[in-house]
Amino acid sequence: MDPSVQADDVWDAGDMGCGELVFLLAQRTRALGPGKVLELVATDLGAPHDIPAWCRLTGNALLTANPPHYFIRSKES
Amino acid sequence: MAGKLCVSITNAKNDADRATVGFVVANAAVGSAQETMVFLSTEAVRLAVKGYADDIHEEGFAPLRDLLANFVKGGGTIFVCSPCFKKRGLDEKALVDGATIVGGAKVVEFLASGAPCISY
Repeated sequence: MDPSVQADDVWDAGDMGCGELVFLLAQRTRALGPGKVLELVATDLGAPHDIPAWCRLTGNALLTANPPHYFIRSKES
Repeated sequence: MAGKLCVSITNAKNDADRATVGFVVANAAVGSAQETMVFLSTEAVRLAVKGYADDIHEEGFAPLRDLLANFVKGGGTIFVCSPCFKKRGLDEKALVDGATIVGGAKVVEFLASGAPCISY
């Protein structure tokens, strides 16, 4: 993790996965506001593939991915 | 490759006919130069465990073990539904070659790129 990246919020999603994970992740990032950084902790087996896919689909930026830790910057608009 | 195709399979030994035909079609797609993804969900996640498909041989078709191996050898990818796999207590360290455990977003990304999907 780049030490210069500071998370504005942390969400430990535990072993939540699939639709529930990305649905709540969308709500979390939206609530955080544009340009903010969320540190996500997700241990689900599918998360290493799902989180990057979700970021590509939604336009949120995946800053780092070191499963189970992910730093995501919410999209600007 | 010319295009993309998703083959969704939801059956295993509970309906070996459907499971087998799903892979037959998937092989047809790979053989037709399509970027092909087999999505195994619900009961079909068992097919992603090494050895499980070894005794599935529907009359009139190649053994499922061979269909599966040929599909991967031909460049096909297999996505395995994460919660379906976890729910059944299966071993993620015993996945067949070419299989990847994913959640919904990865499948949605593939389909959202314009890939049609056929279900078995």
